[in-house]
This record gives sequence, C-alpha cells and structure tokens, in this order.
Amino acid sequence: MSAVSTPQIELKGLRKTFGRVIAVDAVDLEIGDGEFFAMLGPSGSGKTTVLRMIAGFERPTSGSVILGGVDETEVPAFRRDVSTVFQDYALFPHMTVGQNVAYGLKVRGVGGAERTRRVGEALEMVRLGDLAARKPGELSGGQRQRVALARALVTRPRVLLLDEPLGALDLKLREQMQLELKAIQREVGITFLFVTHDQDEALTLCDRLAVFNAGRIEQVGPPSEVYEYPATRFVAGFVGSSNVIPAASAQAVVGRPGTFAIRPEKIRVLAAGATPSAGELGLTGTVDEVVYSGATTRIVVDAAGLQLSATVLNDEAPDDVAAASALRRGDPIAVAWHESALRPLEV
Amino acid sequence: MSAYFATRPRTRLGLLLTPPLLWLVVAYLGSIVLLLLTAFWTVNGFTGRAEPAFQFGNLVAVVTDPLYRDVALRTLLVALSVTVIDAVVAFPMAFYMAKIASPRNRAFFLVAVTTPLWASYLAKAYAWRVLFEPNGPIDIVTGGHSPGYGLPATVVTLAYLWLPYMVIPLYAGFDRVPASLLEASADLGASTGRTVRSVVLPLVFPAIAAGSIFTFSLSFGDYIAVTIVGGKTQLLANLIYGQLVTANNQPLAAALSIVPLLAVILYLLAMRRTGALENV
Amino acid sequence: MTRRVKFSAAIAVAAAIAVTIAGCSSGSGGGGSSSAADSLPKVAEQKKLGANESTLNLIVWAGYAENGSNDPTVDWVTPFVKQTGCQVNAKTAGTSDEMVQLMRTGQYDGVSASGDATLRLIYGGDVAPVNTSLVPNYTTISDFLKLKAWNSAGGKMYGIPHGWGANLLMYNTTAVTTAPDSWSAVFDDSSTYAGKVTAYDSPIYIADAALYLKTKDPSLGISDPYSLTEKQLTAAVDVLKKQNANVGEYWSDYTKAVQAFESGTSVIGTTWQVIANLIASDGKVNVKTVVPKEGVTGWSDTWMIAAKAKHPNCMYQWMNWITSAKVNAQVAEWFGEAPAQTLACAETSDPAFCNSYHATDAAYAANIHYWTTPQTTCVDGSGKTNCTAYSEWTTKWQQIKG
Repeated sequence: MSAVSTPQIELKGLRKTFGRVIAVDAVDLEIGDGEFFAMLGPSGSGKTTVLRMIAGFERPTSGSVILGGVDETEVPAFRRDVSTVFQDYALFPHMTVGQNVAYGLKVRGVGGAERTRRVGEALEMVRLGDLAARKPGELSGGQRQRVALARALVTRPRVLLLDEPLGALDLKLREQMQLELKAIQREVGITFLFVTHDQDEALTLCDRLAVFNAGRIEQVGPPSEVYEYPATRFVAGFVGSSNVIPAASAQAVVGRPGTFAIRPEKIRVLAAGATPSAGELGLTGTVDEVVYSGATTRIVVDAAGLQLSATVLNDEAPDDVAAASALRRGDPIAVAWHESALRPLEV
Repeated sequence: MSAYFATRPRTRLGLLLTPPLLWLVVAYLGSIVLLLLTAFWTVNGFTGRAEPAFQFGNLVAVVTDPLYRDVALRTLLVALSVTVIDAVVAFPMAFYMAKIASPRNRAFFLVAVTTPLWASYLAKAYAWRVLFEPNGPIDIVTGGHSPGYGLPATVVTLAYLWLPYMVIPLYAGFDRVPASLLEASADLGASTGRTVRSVVLPLVFPAIAAGSIFTFSLSFGDYIAVTIVGGKTQLLANLIYGQLVTANNQPLAAALSIVPLLAVILYLLAMRRTGALENV
Repeated sequence: MTRRVKFSAAIAVAAAIAVTIAGCSSGSGGGGSSSAADSLPKVAEQKKLGANESTLNLIVWAGYAENGSNDPTVDWVTPFVKQTGCQVNAKTAGTSDEMVQLMRTGQYDGVSASGDATLRLIYGGDVAPVNTSLVPNYTTISDFLKLKAWNSAGGKMYGIPHGWGANLLMYNTTAVTTAPDSWSAVFDDSSTYAGKVTAYDSPIYIADAALYLKTKDPSLGISDPYSLTEKQLTAAVDVLKKQNANVGEYWSDYTKAVQAFESGTSVIGTTWQVIANLIASDGKVNVKTVVPKEGVTGWSDTWMIAAKAKHPNCMYQWMNWITSAKVNAQVAEWFGEAPAQTLACAETSDPAFCNSYHATDAAYAANIHYWTTPQTTCVDGSGKTNCTAYSEWTTKWQQIKG
C-alpha cells in the first residue's frame, strides 16, 4: 500500500461518544485526492458517524478532521467544501428537480446564466435533463438518487460523501448505478468517500477501503489487498468468506502455531487418495454438503475436526461437472491448498 | 344485533351518518342561515322585539357607519397582530421542541405548552390584568414604560391565550420535516438563516397556516379579553354583543356578525390560495 | 349544473325557514303601534291567592336569592322553601338586558328588574300588574318608591320595590387632593386625571352626562335625564366623547371597579356604595364618595311577576317574603343597597347601615334620578313623543367608545 501524498481528508484520533455509547474510537485515516474510498462495515460500526463528522453534522468528542490540509474540526457544515449524498436523498420536496440542483449554487451567489448552465450540465451528467421541472415526489427511486448526486456535485466540492447511496435501490438498478457512479467519479476526478455495508459494492467500486468494526478501523487498503490479505479474523469473515483455522487446530493442520484464514476458492478438491502437489498442504476427510450454484459449486468438507468450505469453478466439460456434483454426503474426499494461500490473522 | 347490521351495510351507514348530518344541517348551517336572515329584519322601536321584514337598513348601516368601519379595521389589526406574534413566538419554540430537545424534554415541553389550556380563560385574562396594572410587574420590568391597559395589552393577552393553538400544529409540522433536509441545506452551503428561509419555512408554512386560522378567528371573535385588559377599547364582537344584549337589536347584531363571518371566510380562501390547506 | 342545483336547494331551504319563522312570530302579536298609552298590553292582575304551587322559577341579580351556597350564614331561600313549599330555582342574570331576554322565554315566574328593564317588560306584555293587597309587606315600603315611573303604568304597580342605590362620585383621596363637589370633575375637567378616569359601561350612563348638563347648560332645557330630545342627546354624547379621551377604562362588573381603584388604574369616577365599602374594608387605598351638587342617577329594583307565570301564588309569596323586614335587611346588607322596606332598618346587623345608605331619607332618595328605559314617548310624563329611545342610546354609546 502506497503512502497518501496529498490527503484531502485526514482524520486524527477521531472519537465520538453518545452518552455512554462509544460510536467511533480513535480513528486515524488519510484519503488522497481523487480517490474513490469506501468505508465498509456492519451497521453500528461507526462508519456513518465518521462520515457525518467529516460533513460537519456531528462534532467529534475528541480528535480532529483535517480537510485539504486545514483543520476544520470546528467549522460548521455550511462552510465546508464537501457535499453529501444522503441515504434518503434528502431532496427538498417543495422544489423542482432543477431548483434542488440549483440550490447550492444559489446560496453561494452563483447567478443567472452560469447557474442555468451548470444545473443543465449536472442534470445531463446524470441523464435527467428532461425532468428538471418535476417535483421529487414524481420521480422513481433511481431518478431521485441521480438528482441527489447532481445536486451534490454541481457545487464542485473537493470531496463527495455518499452515505449508503444505493441502499434503497433494487439489485438490478444498484448494479447499474455502481457503474454510473464509477464513471462519474472518473469524469469529475474528485475524492469520493463512500459508506456501505455491502462488501461487493465496496470491492467493485473503490480504489481503497477501510473496514470498520465496533467503532474502530480493522484494516485499510486496496480491495485486492484487503481481500487477499485480511489482517484480522473480522475482516476475513466480513470481506468475502473465509475458512478460519483456529489456534487449537493450527499445529495439526498447518504445522505451525497461529490462527489462519483461507479463502474457499483457494482450496483444491481432490479425489479420495490423491496426493497434493509439491508446495501444497493436504487433508483427507468426508463430504458434508454439496451446493451447486451455476458457475461454481461449493463443497463443504469435514476434515481434521474442521469444516472447510471449498469453491470449485465449474469450468470443465458438462459431464465432468455433473460427476463432481454427484458427490454424496459421507463420501471420502481429499483437499489441498498452496502454503501461500494461508493468511495468518492478528486476533 | 351486530349480525343484523353486518348484513345491512346501508342501514348501518345511514344510522352512522344521520346524527352528524343532522347536526351539520340543522344546528350549524341552520343557525347561520337564520343569522343571515335576521340581518334583514327590523326591530319594533317600542317593544324591542325583532320582526320579520326584508330591508337593507342594517347592512347599509354596517357598511357606511364610520364607527363600524373603524372598529372592524381595529379588530382586523388585532387579529393579524396576534397571528403574527404567535407565529413568530411559536416558530422557535416548536422548532426546538421537534428538532433539538431530547424526547424526554419534548414530552415535558408539550405538556408545558398545553397545560395553560386547562386553566380558565378568565383566570388567565385577569392574570394579565394584574401584570399590566399601574406599578405592576410589567411597569417595573420596563422601568415605567408599561403600555398599560389598551390595545397593546389586548394583543399581548390574546397572543398569550391562543399561543398553544399555533405551537401544536407547528410542532407537528416540524416533526414531519426530516432532519436530513436541514443537513442537506447546510451541506450545500446554506447558513442557518438561509436554511430556515428557503427550506424550513416553506415546508412548515401549511402548519403555520393551520395555526393561524385558529389564532385569527379566535381573536376576531373575542370580546372578553378586551374588556379586562383593553382599557376603554372596544372590538367588533363588543359591538355585536352590545347590539344583541344591551340594545336588544338582533337584526343589527346579525348584520354586524356577517363581518367576522366574511373575514374568516376570506382568510380561509386566502390560505387556500397559498396551497396551505392541501396538506392539513 | 350541479352547482346551480345545490344553490337553488339552499335558497329553498332558506325560504322554508323564513316562512316558518314568519309564521311563528306573527302569532305572538304585539303589532307595531308607537304610543305608550295605546300599547300598554292588557294583562289582568291576580284577584286572590290560591294554594302554593310546588315550584318557583326566578331571574335574579347575583346576591338576591342566596341559599347558603356562597356563605352558609347567608340564606333566606331555605326558610322560604320550608315555609311555603315552593322549591326555588334562581337563574342569575348579569345585565338588565339579559333579564329582559330571559323573561321573554316565558319560562320564569318573576324577576328582580331594575328601572332600565321594567318598562320594556311592562310594555312588552311580559309582566302583570301586582295586586298589592295580596302583599302585606307592601304597606311599609318607603313611600317614595311607590307608583314611580319605572315601576308603574296606568296607575298600577307592576311590582314590589326591593331596594335602591345611587351612582355616586368616588375618588382616591391621595390622588385627588381637592374634594370635588361637581360631576365636572369627570366631565369638563376630566383632563386633570387623564387616563385615570372611570365610567360605568352602559348606554344608561348617558343620563349621568345629561344630568350634569341639566345644571350646567340650562339653555338645553333638559328636565329629565332619561327624556332627551335628539339635540339634548347629542349634547350629552359630546360631553362623553370628550370624557372618553381621559377615561382609563369603563366598568360594568363591580369587582373590576374595586380592583381598578385598588391598583391605581382609576382614581375618580362613578361608583356604587358597595364598591366604596369593599375598597374601604380592603384598606389598600383611601376613597371617598360624594353626591355632587348636580344630583345623581341611581337604580331601584322591583320584583315583577310574569304575565303568564306558571306558579303565580308562589311568586306572590316570594314578593312578600323578600320585602319582609328581616329578609329585606339581610339582602340589603349582603348586596350593599338601601332596603325598600322601612322596617328593615331595625333588623340590620350593623345599626348604622340604613344611615350610611340613606335608606329612609326621602329627600336623598328624591334627588336620585332612577334608571328607566328611555323611549320615544318621553318618560318624564309630559306625553311628548320627540324623545330618543334606548336603542339609539346604545348606538350612541358605542360611538362614544369609538
């Protein structure tokens, strides 16, 4: 992971408590210019609170928020050069789409022709040029989402904050919007900071991500790094799925002490009695469950007192795939993986 | 019994609707029609009894007599002032209650705002009489600049009396505005004042309108507060009361009562024009 | 289309109601004649007493029919019920005008009417003449209260006098250092106490200004303050309009008058003796009352019996009971007025009571111009018909207050 050269957002020892509840605890983070950054975590992990502190809606209990090199911890929301796309979009119901988008320019005193032009451009960018006269109540969920995006971007902020922006959309629309978001981010080139609980979305969209758990950051890095080298047991389980080899079994299975994770797709399924290749570790066991899901098949194996899940890509001839799927519970089987596929975890 | 009605939905509906319809038509519309009719009657100058007739003398008097015009304008001024004061005072109160106060404090404030409604009107009006008296509390606090009894005291007292009728709808109005809209406005660069003007005010305007209908019509019809704290001032309802009870001139009283009736109808129409009544 | 249908339906409903009302009220007669003599309705007086009915429905001034509920020691209704078997239902009215209205509902047997209500009731045919021979206590009623303009018509008593009082000039002795002896203190010279002058809030108060003008401007030719020509009324109204500039507030509720003087809101103005007594007993401010040299207006209450009383015998019993020496003394002391019954003065708990109220002082009483309802037929007995009626006074009163 590369050091961030010109951080747009810098969080130092950020902490936020609500009464006795610690929502955010000692968060340090740097996000660079033009990055598409995701904050990933389950609900209640503090990621939205961090976002709201960056936007200026919440005051940190301690720590500082540095935006573009300036400490803006005490600066009110309306003076910060960041824009937010809200989870519920927060469109002004009494204004038309055009007025909603123009609002930020209007309060900044951008007048007449320029305002009209920039509103038009922003609406074109989200492909809503012909709906400017509608009221938000007359739009579909996806359209509202785009209006919120246009409204947030039209003021050309240095940072765009997105709070679960796709959460309210159905799956198909969500996938489409993900691509659009990515395209728009490339087009405007500013920092996007994105809060989500959906790991697929985070992996698909962002350049880097931070995984939150219980108010703390567990790991920061590019998607491939976080996925391939999960630093903690929580990350290993939350980002993708992992087989965890606990300390008690480590000596027997891995041959050295520690806790390890291994991705299901890194486990090779062998016929019973076959031996692992050089550099591979192997185990024998029995089939517990076989789940066929089109492109892949998941085979759960009982071995050495563990349940290991292996994902097999169905890239063979159909007959062979059918044969593999014909495995029964209790059939003897062997599994193998490359030594390097094992990830030691900090617990 | 219930089985009987269950199989005869029309009978059930009829029984359900008859009492309110009777009330509406007979007691409510009927009394207004009667009122309008008596405005055309005359009074027997000797016995003082109202006698049916059809003449416009009463209505002409109401329109042309400078007394009625002056008092009607004064009453309008009072009703509008009370409404504006209540709106201005209730706005921050309701905002605080709905958007800032903790849920426990919110319940406390709601109770605090509505509790005066349980107290007697007269007790509250007389309390203000004491406040406004010479060398009374207001005199002391303002360093001897209390306005004393008169029109300002009347406006203040009425504004106090009807304030809950403005706070409650406004509170409900603020409650319906999502907090994220206020954050979105700030996020887009709007100062608090700008957010209030461009986002909050338009969104709670229907609630203000709903509350103002109460404060306006209650003030326009009030004649008790002004006799207690109004000094020598009289309002339209005092004239109506005087004509009805003192002069026993029911027809002129009826003609005079058309003025507040019209004022309230016009006010409702004005509110409807602004679109404020659509969401109420 | 539908709108038109609805509209004509509304017209039809309105017309139907109008016809019904017209039909109802044309039956109750009265006609529109304008001469007092012609229009004195013929209502017969009762010839003799029958057995008491079981109920009596009264309209009363507050304090006139106490049954112990306000003060356990103040109760003259319960002994009456015990003695006669007439169960008393008393409805308290706030003003003379309300009394007139209530009497016209026909649900009441009698009323304690003041002089500004009596004639309206008499000429409205709402009350009957009283056979005074059936009321033994009538003989000892003060003579100066008998057969007066406000309680009789056609030479007949229309009720039994109950009590009376004067509208006095009261002033705060701290604020008003030179004792006034003329009503000019609240009229032409009222600017001395600008904003602190009070006046009685009723059209009948115009008579106070007329009484003042009677002495001050004899060229107007006012003889009776309740019989004013258009010109005389205008002159009185002008006096009151000038006074209005200096009035702090008007009063009609006597507790408000007490409070206004005690708080300093008012320092001079017209009052009742009971108000002065209450202020004196509170001791917060010092006030004095005077009878100004122009004379005073006043009020005299009369128990009247409804023309169609359902319980006439009980009402006769009541009229006799309330004017009996002991009861009349009780009422007068409770309410603060001069008792009509001469024998009552021996029964008051305060021996000086009758003196302070000038109860038996015929000369004092003669100087009082008692409230009576102004009519187009002048109430001064002149028979002239160029006087102004009470309804006109009401309109003028509203204009005075502006």
